[in-house]
Amino acid sequence: MLRRFAISFSLVLVCVCAGARTRPHYGGSLRVEVAGDPWVGPEGLARRLVLDGLTALDANGFVSPALAVEWQSDSGDHRWQFRLRQGVHFHDGSPMNAVAVVMALNTACSGNCPWTAVRAVGSAVIFTSDSPMPNLPGLLAGGMYLIALTRTADGQTPANPIGTGPFQFTSSNNGQLTLTANESCWQGRPFVDEILITGNRPTREQWLDLNVGRTDIAQVPPQELRQAQQQHLAVVVSPPVELLALQVSDAGALTNAVLRAALAQAVDRGALFNVIFQKQGEITASLLPQSLTGYAFLFPADRDLNRAIELRGGLTAPRFVMMADFDGTMQLAAQRIALNLREAGFSVQVVSSPSSVRPDLALLTLPIEGADPAAALETLLRSAGENVPVAGRNPTALYRAEHDFLDLKTLVPLLDLPRAWAIGSRVRDVRLRADGTPDLAGASLEGTQ
Amino acid sequence: MMPTKRMCLLAILGAMLVRPLLSAPPSAWEKPASELADQIAAILGPGQAHLTIRNLSTIPTDEIPTIRRLLTQDLKAHGVVMAGAESANTIRVTLSESARERMLVAEVGEGTQSQVAVVDLGPIATQTATTQERMELHKEIDLSAVALANGTTLSSDDPVMALVEAGARLFVLRKDSVMVFARNADHGRTVEASLALDLKRPMPRDARGVLIAAADGNGFTAFMPGTECSGTFSPPAETAALPHNGWTVNCHASDDPWPIAVDTSGAPQLKAFYNSARDYFTGVVSPSVGVDLPPFYAAAMLPRSAGNAALLVGGIDGRVQMVENGSLRVVTGTRDWGSDFAVLHSGCGAGVQVIASSSGEAASDSLRAYELPALEAVPASAPLAIDGTVTALWAAPDGKSVLAVVRNAANQYEVDRVTALCN
Repeated sequence: MLRRFAISFSLVLVCVCAGARTRPHYGGSLRVEVAGDPWVGPEGLARRLVLDGLTALDANGFVSPALAVEWQSDSGDHRWQFRLRQGVHFHDGSPMNAVAVVMALNTACSGNCPWTAVRAVGSAVIFTSDSPMPNLPGLLAGGMYLIALTRTADGQTPANPIGTGPFQFTSSNNGQLTLTANESCWQGRPFVDEILITGNRPTREQWLDLNVGRTDIAQVPPQELRQAQQQHLAVVVSPPVELLALQVSDAGALTNAVLRAALAQAVDRGALFNVIFQKQGEITASLLPQSLTGYAFLFPADRDLNRAIELRGGLTAPRFVMMADFDGTMQLAAQRIALNLREAGFSVQVVSSPSSVRPDLALLTLPIEGADPAAALETLLRSAGENVPVAGRNPTALYRAEHDFLDLKTLVPLLDLPRAWAIGSRVRDVRLRADGTPDLAGASLEGTQ
Repeated sequence: MMPTKRMCLLAILGAMLVRPLLSAPPSAWEKPASELADQIAAILGPGQAHLTIRNLSTIPTDEIPTIRRLLTQDLKAHGVVMAGAESANTIRVTLSESARERMLVAEVGEGTQSQVAVVDLGPIATQTATTQERMELHKEIDLSAVALANGTTLSSDDPVMALVEAGARLFVLRKDSVMVFARNADHGRTVEASLALDLKRPMPRDARGVLIAAADGNGFTAFMPGTECSGTFSPPAETAALPHNGWTVNCHASDDPWPIAVDTSGAPQLKAFYNSARDYFTGVVSPSVGVDLPPFYAAAMLPRSAGNAALLVGGIDGRVQMVENGSLRVVTGTRDWGSDFAVLHSGCGAGVQVIASSSGEAASDSLRAYELPALEAVPASAPLAIDGTVTALWAAPDGKSVLAVVRNAANQYEVDRVTALCN
C-alpha cells in the first residue's frame, strides 16, 4: 500500500509540474543548485548538457539515435557498426567525425570497456569484441561514454570540456559553472540562454535559495521528500533510478561464500527504508526493480538474523571495513547496516574515504537506466565494476542471469531509490530523463522572450 | 462565467484513453498455461504437487479460476497431479507484470530446492482491444495505433507537428518526415508512405510546421523552419512499382512565409514569416493587413458579419488581439487561453466559434469554445478535458471540426477530432 501511495504521489507531482500549455519562451538564465560536483560522475548534471552520446535514452527509457543515426550488429553481436550523424560540430566548430568519436571513446574508457577495440571507418564507428555485446547501443547511452573533444584543430588538449550538446562550457568561478546555449545545436537551440549551476551546496541552503528566488531548481534527496512536501515545494520525482546496494568483497575472510551469505541475511532493509530513507523508494533484494522486470518479487528481502548467525557458524571473522560516501545519509545507512551485522556477530568499522586497501564492504548507489532490462542490468553491473555481459533477453534468461550473479553474494541489493527536484515557479516544462536528472535543454522560463 | 445554453459540451471523437484489456477471453490463457505447464513438468517430472496461484498484476482476479483449470489440465497431461498442501512438491504461480509486460511466474519447489519458470504474456499495450474499436466507431484518427502497427516509435522526441486531410489521404508532418495514410476498406488508416525530409537546418526544440495538401490528395507542401518540401504522387505502373508507393519528395532551403489561413479550395488567404530559430511568427504577414502585428504563436481568420473577416492573433506576450477594419485591438476574456487556437464552423449559435487550448493554470489541459461578438471572448461551451497536453490545433479543411494533436501522459502523440453538438 505504501509503495502504491508513493508511486501515485510521484506521478501527481510530475504531472503538476509538467502541465503548462502555453508555448515555451526563449531567453533568460536558469539557476540550478546541486549538492555535489555538477561535472563529476557519469550522471553529473553539467556533463549531460555539454556532451552527447552516440545513443540516448528517450523519455520512456528506450534507446534512440543521438550522434549516431543508425547501427547494426553482425557476427553474433561481436561487431557493431554505428553510422554517425552528418553536419554536427563540436562547440569549437570542429567537425564531429568518426576519428574524433573514437579518440573520445578511447579516452573515456581505458579499461573494463564493453568492447575490445573501436575504430573509425569513413563516417562509421566500428566496435569489436571477443565476447558478444548484445546491449551495446543501450550501454553507449550511459554517462560514461559521452563524446568530448580530445584534440583541438591545433592539436592541443582542450582546457575545458567541449562537446556537441545543447549548452557549451563558458566558465567555472567560485563553484559556479556557467553554460551558454549552443545556437547551432543539432537538436535545436535550447530555450534558455544560459544555465548557472552552483555545486556543493547543502540541500537546506538550496531550498532556502529556492524559496527566496535565488535559484530555480534544487535537489531533493529521497529521504527529504516528505519535508519538501511539508514546505510546499513543487517537486518532480522520478521512478526508481538508483539501486542502493552493499558490495561485499570476495577476498580475505570473505572468500568464504557462506560468510558472505551470512552478511546478506543479516541486513535489515526495513530499518533502512523506514528510518534512514523515511519510507521513500522501495525495498528490494533484486538488482532491477519489479517495474522493469516483473520478477523482482522472487528475491526475498526479509531479514533472517537466525539464519545469518547459523551461516556464520560461530566463526570469529576479522573486523570488516565498510566504506560509504561522506554524504550524511550514506554514512547513517552504513552505520545502520554495521549495527545489523554486529547483531549477527560481525565486527564492522565504517569509513568515509577510500583507502589504498580495498574495503571489505562498500555502500554504493548504482544506476538503473532505461526500459531494456538486459541493458539496464549490464549497465548496473558495469557500474559496480563487474564485467558481466548479459546475453539473455527473455524474462527467464534475465532472471537466471540476475539470480546466478546474486547467488555469489558479492552485491546485496537494498533499496530502489528515485531522484527528485524542487522546481521554482518561473520554470516550466521540466521533464526528467531516464536517469532521473532534469532535461534542462527542454526547460524554459516564464516572463522571458 | 456560465456557458451559453445554445451549445452543449464539445464532443471529442476519440479522446478516450486506450484502456487496458481488463479481461481476456478464456482461450487467451490456453497457450500461456500450456507453455507454463511444459516448463513446470520439465522441472518436476511426473508426480504430485500442490498448486497455489496469486495475483500481483492488474489482471483481474476473476481470471484465476480459468488459469487454474487450464494449468491443472495441462499439468495432468504431463503426469503432474494436483495434491494437498502436505505435498513435498509445490508450484506457486504468480500473475505478475512490469511496467510494460505481463507474465506468469512459477516457483517450483522440490523439498528445499526451488526453480523458476516464466511465461511472457507480451506487452501490456498490445493487450488492448479498444483502439481499433475506437477508430471504427468514431472514425477516429489514431496515429499511435497505426504507427505502432508499422513498428514506428512515437516518443516525444518525434512530435506530430501538423496534419491535413485531403481526398482519401491523411498527411502527418513529423519532425523529419511526412507520413501518408490511406483510408482502407474498413474506414481505418494504413501507412501508404513514410517520406524522409531533407531538412536544411536543425529544427528548433518546440518544433512547428504547416502542411498544405492538394485537394485531390495527390500532393502536399510542408513548411518547416528554414526548409520547404513538396511531395507528389505518381501512380506506379503495374510492372514497375516506384519506391514509397509512387511518392516523391523534394526539399529546399526556404525562409518564405508560411500559409496560415487557407480558403476552402486550399488557396492561401494569408501568409506569415516564421522565425526559424524560435517557435513563433515574426509578425510580418503577406498580404499586409494594414497594421503592424506583434510576434505571434497563432493566427486565424474569423468570419464577421456582412461577409467580412477579422484576423485573430495570439501574441508571444500572451495577449490575443484582433485586426478588424484596419485597426489592432486587444480581445479581453482570453486570459485562460493557451498558445493555440483554431476556428470551428459548427453551425451552432453564431455559427462560428474559436476553439482554444487552456493556459495551463489547471492541472490538466482542456479545450473550450468561445464566441467573439465584439472584443470580448465569451465561453460558448464548458471546458472539454484532454488527457494530455495539446501541442497543436488545426481546423479541418471543411472547417467543421478541429484536429488536436495531444501528447499524452505516456509521451506519445495522438490526434483527436473535436466537433460541436448543438443543443
